[in-house]
Amino acid sequence: MSRLRRSSKVMRLWDWSVPPTSAHREVLSIVPEGWIDAPRATRKPPILFVHGLAHGAWCWREHWMPAAAERGFPVYAVSLRGHGDSGGRKRLGRTLLRHYVHDVMQTITELPQQPVLVGHSMGALVSQLVADRYSPRGLALLTPAPIQGAAYEMPKLIRKRPLDAAKVLAGGTLPLRAEQLFTGLDEATAARYVDRLGRESPWAQYELLLPHRIGPVRCPVLVVGTPDDRVVDEKAVEVTAAAYGVDPVWLPGIGHDLMLDGGWEKALSVVLDWVDERC
Amino acid sequence: MSDVIDRGGAWAVVGAGPHGLSALKNLLQLGLDADGFERDTDLGGNWNFHAENSRVYESTHLISTKPFTQFPDFPMPDAYPDYPSHWQVHRYFRSYAEHFGLLDHLHFNSEVVSVTPAADQRWDVTMRDRETGDETTRQYAGVVIANGHNWWPKIPQYPGQDTFTGEIKHSADYKSADVVRGKRVLVVGAGNTGCDVAVESAQNAKETFHSTRRGYYYNPKYAFGRPSDQTADLLLALRLPLALRRVMFKSVLRLTVGDFEKFGLRKPDHEFFETHPIVNQQLVYYVGHGDISPKPDIARFDGSTVHFEDGTSAEIDVVVFCTGYLAHFPFLDDSYLNLDGDHPVLARQIFTPATPTLAVSGLIQPDSGQWTIAHWQGMLIATYAALRAQDPQAAQRFYDAMVAETGVRFTGGAEYKDSTRHYYEIAHQEYLRAIERDLQRIESMTPSVMAAAR
Repeated sequence: MSRLRRSSKVMRLWDWSVPPTSAHREVLSIVPEGWIDAPRATRKPPILFVHGLAHGAWCWREHWMPAAAERGFPVYAVSLRGHGDSGGRKRLGRTLLRHYVHDVMQTITELPQQPVLVGHSMGALVSQLVADRYSPRGLALLTPAPIQGAAYEMPKLIRKRPLDAAKVLAGGTLPLRAEQLFTGLDEATAARYVDRLGRESPWAQYELLLPHRIGPVRCPVLVVGTPDDRVVDEKAVEVTAAAYGVDPVWLPGIGHDLMLDGGWEKALSVVLDWVDERC
Repeated sequence: MSDVIDRGGAWAVVGAGPHGLSALKNLLQLGLDADGFERDTDLGGNWNFHAENSRVYESTHLISTKPFTQFPDFPMPDAYPDYPSHWQVHRYFRSYAEHFGLLDHLHFNSEVVSVTPAADQRWDVTMRDRETGDETTRQYAGVVIANGHNWWPKIPQYPGQDTFTGEIKHSADYKSADVVRGKRVLVVGAGNTGCDVAVESAQNAKETFHSTRRGYYYNPKYAFGRPSDQTADLLLALRLPLALRRVMFKSVLRLTVGDFEKFGLRKPDHEFFETHPIVNQQLVYYVGHGDISPKPDIARFDGSTVHFEDGTSAEIDVVVFCTGYLAHFPFLDDSYLNLDGDHPVLARQIFTPATPTLAVSGLIQPDSGQWTIAHWQGMLIATYAALRAQDPQAAQRFYDAMVAETGVRFTGGAEYKDSTRHYYEIAHQEYLRAIERDLQRIESMTPSVMAAAR
């Protein structure tokens, strides 16, 4: 069962006739000194981080961006519209995944060369939709929202957290609590992060329930999951990895937000080692 | 120099306009080696304003909007307007080339002077350094020809033209309104350039006459507050039949612009979609203000007077022939391009039945944006080149299937008017659907093409 298209999708009628509107974008960046003048063939590729549901570029700025820049990578993180300090908050109720794809594509065109895309959760799905039309240097999918659609998770959500399920179905933002996102943080830090979470577009959330077909993807792909993830289950990670014909890398002991949780250093080194080796 | 540098499996790309850039980028992306050659000192081709063969003028703007004009994998900046200027377009091509690392593979100031066949279906490409005059020859596995078809002026001949006492110019020499300022001007031709020049002349000249062979549909850039080409694409996407689309387009034109005849313009003598679309909102406006006087075809020149076919005449200081361009391949024996008289007849406007290792990109005139198509032409050529490198027999099968369709046109069901202007005319959605099917076929022939790619 392949979830990837075998050949290119040329016809994008919807994008041609009703193009996404634009919105102000927050793009955080750290470019190591001397990088821009180094020869293109030998310098480390840029990394573009795409955050997940209700998060923002800030979640990468906390630990990963400075640490990756320290290792010589120019790093960028975009806040999708309606998130972080990007614009489009008022229109969030009319925002679709295609708008997020547009925001990432716009950010990419401002980068000096093809980046490695690192997407987390919903951002991993957005990154795959970007790779559907653009060839990044590499594609890293961290605790990815299921490519097969999250609808299969709804019965479990209804059973375990009926109020959350009702809220999502009514168009509210999926509540993400500290105990779902983190396993190894002190209470105060976890609360501080949860406080920064914003709202999500109801339409984007509904789209997460649906299956997505993408491809062909021609770049190296990395899929990272954790058995201690209480938002994206192991099956979602396995199906996504299988779609690209790779084995997922499992990081036990770290929660869903592996760029913020205790143990983030380990997760980051898995990603950066892969970039160094494969991209 | 008789030494030929063997470039192994590399392909050569002639021209660094948008089609050349796209071909180069896609070849490199699929893991092939490739060299691009550009006779000017900068990339951009027609959009490189200062280049000798650039035909854009100071006021040139796109006549189709961004969504299907841009490269699909490199959208134009949000900060660009719906219809960007040629300056913005040139900056866009430069950032595309920088982003994808094409500059390391481009040779500027390198004019390709000959492309000749070598053994094993390979090609010797000779270029002249335009500074030193030195010539070098390199051998390639294949060649992509992307030298453009809007730079070699087509100049008509009317009786008495040689005796005309005023100035005669082609739009190729028209870079700004300085050509017409304060003069009595005759603009010939109702292509998009002809209409642009007529409008600019109306704003700057003493008097402006606009001679056209027939009446046309002058489409607005905006209708009902939206770029009209996006609405047109929506109707196409709905797959409405041609007859219904004609009725809808004509009604919208009637509602938003009005009856052309009431402005003194001629009634179109043809159906919608039978001629290349003209997108110009201002022409009708200036006709309505008397700043442009519509005229039929020229009958003859006589001193400083131009006589028209309806018996009227006008005193003219300068004539600007906006009569288009012809394709021209000075570096290649025409027989390799399957010429019918003065124009190549190809398969998908790309593959020539004469040889499997020569591909053309950009020999199209879409009824919509250009560079989405440039991307997919480049992608098809690159995928084919990659397949040839891996599995020549499979590539040959694909090539044979392609050239079996040589000469097939993509008209969207319409019958184009017989004119040099429509040699390369394509209905963009129908054409792209065909390319999508071709990609399906070739990408399924070798999964390894994908595996080999970076």
